[in-house]
Amino acid sequence: MTPLVEMSDIHLAFGGIKAVDGASLDLHEGEVVGLLGHNGAGKSTLIKVLSGAYRADSGDIRVRGEPAHIHSPRDARRYGIETIYQTLALADNLDAAANIFLGRELLTAWGTLDDAAMEAATRQVMGRLNPHFRRFKEPVRALSGGQRQSVAIARAIHFDARILIMDEPTAALGPAETRQVGELVKQLKAQGIGIFLISHDIHDVFDLADRISVMKNGRLVGTARVADITKDEALGMIILGKCPPGAIPGPGAMN
Amino acid sequence: MTRRILARYGTALAGVGLFAIFAVTSPVFLTPDNIALILKETAFLGILAIGFTLALVTAEIDLSVAEVASLAAVVTGALVHGGTDPWIAIAAGLAVGTLCGAANGVAVTVLNVPSLIATLGVAAIAKGLSFMLTQGVAFVGRWPASFTGLARGTLLGVPNLIWWLAGIGFAAWLLVKWTRLGAHLVATGEADEAARLAGIRTRSMKRLALTLAGACAGLTAVLLASSLSSAAPAMANDHFLYAIAAVLLGMSMFEPGRPNIPGTLFAAFTLKVLGNGLVLLGAEYYWQDIILGTIILLSVALSATGTGKAPFVKKLNVRR
Ligand SMILES: Nc1ncnc2c1ncn2[C@@H]1O[C@H](COP(=O)(O)OP(=O)(O)OP(=O)(O)O)[C@@H](O)[C@H]1O
Ligand SMILES: [Mg+2]
Repeated sequence: MTPLVEMSDIHLAFGGIKAVDGASLDLHEGEVVGLLGHNGAGKSTLIKVLSGAYRADSGDIRVRGEPAHIHSPRDARRYGIETIYQTLALADNLDAAANIFLGRELLTAWGTLDDAAMEAATRQVMGRLNPHFRRFKEPVRALSGGQRQSVAIARAIHFDARILIMDEPTAALGPAETRQVGELVKQLKAQGIGIFLISHDIHDVFDLADRISVMKNGRLVGTARVADITKDEALGMIILGKCPPGAIPGPGAMN
Repeated sequence: MTRRILARYGTALAGVGLFAIFAVTSPVFLTPDNIALILKETAFLGILAIGFTLALVTAEIDLSVAEVASLAAVVTGALVHGGTDPWIAIAAGLAVGTLCGAANGVAVTVLNVPSLIATLGVAAIAKGLSFMLTQGVAFVGRWPASFTGLARGTLLGVPNLIWWLAGIGFAAWLLVKWTRLGAHLVATGEADEAARLAGIRTRSMKRLALTLAGACAGLTAVLLASSLSSAAPAMANDHFLYAIAAVLLGMSMFEPGRPNIPGTLFAAFTLKVLGNGLVLLGAEYYWQDIILGTIILLSVALSATGTGKAPFVKKLNVRR
């Protein structure tokens, strides 16, 4: 079966720093791929190439087998790629609805902004994620970290994404909300959406992901089905760059 | 609740209070002629300030509006004076303003020059060009009524200038408040990076806003020349501080911390009331500059610390 996404041999350097150094990833429909690695391993940079935030120096992206031309976040959205950024990327002075519909505002038959429709849709999607949320009229600057995270997630899932990138989506969430996001991931997966999940919580990743890819110093240590390796082996990949027998080694694997 | 009302309408109420004070203390202030005069003066200022507001909505500062308006006025004046068809002269004035605005936009979004510097550069060039065109003397004359009527005529008993202000004000308000384009302009100013990641073409938005600022300067210029039957270098300069003060003061009303069209319009009117009242009460002219400067300082202080933290203040690296 053709993968939903294939990123091959991606390189990206910031000045002298090789943030991503020949990394390759793939993702299938209805699959969750966990992306693991230390701080600064290059996870965010790699997925930002897919979301159009950065342009790779070299490398190649295919969506459903076709070469994809992603030069801006706009292009990425056109391929059905939605992203929850680690930094959330919210407009602080705007309210939840304005943030969720940022760049994709709903219009009335007159061509004017349809604030009522946007607010109604916001209530609906936020109700799914965070049923207690009430502060619809306030700038998101005034919201708690968890509430802001819900807004960022709502923005990504409201528009029929086919490919969802979640960069540490539960970093600011409490246990209850984290569980909710876990449920959401399972739901979206069941709908056939492919998900890249970046997280430092190896237990969460083992719970939710079908496969994991591990990065170290911008290079791919290896990729494995979670069924084929143990958590300890995964930690070995993250910390030492040591690729266990159950994994397919990448260029960053220690020999 | 009261605090919220005060934050939103406090300075607007102060403006109303000012109006009341002049109405009581000066016998001339409230006469229809004087009010019409204030409104006409507000028209030049208001249209210029609306342009400045649009640029500031995208968090760019356009210091060139007055010099660009002067240049556009000189170009229009030269053409009318030389006997060119007034419509061509008007189109030329608007084009000059728009082109200068586009030049600002390119300097900021393509050459990556900060707007504070880029617009200062364009202002200097515009100033030089207007002196070059006029060689320092003004174009004055009996210009055709088809040109002067643009600003001096009336429609349904209301001076054309007021119609112009109302029309441009309404259009700008509609743009910012009710269109997708406007939402993208606001998002660009509020959160450049978040807007870009959301797929908004932030550079195009900034270019558009600066171009519109230039177009507004061009229109102000045409109306000034039409109203005065003359054109001279630096003729719009008196409106410069006023325009900045109007926009910044306007940011303290209605939508605190955000450049907004109703705020700009109301503040422009208030400032003209203030200027007019001071003259009627016999204050020396220099008090206007001193008061405008104070208003500029206080308004920005309010935007920097008050309920809304204006993005352009952050951008200018004001530490808080
Ligand atoms: N905009 C940038 N400019 C310069 N260097 C950058 C930039 N973004 C990331 N880097 C560098 O690239 C490397 C990879 O960073 P990246 O953010 O991709 O790591 P990460 O794996 O997401 O880490 P974390 O787990 O902390 O989020 C780091 O060395 C980082 O300092
Ligand atoms: Mg990261």
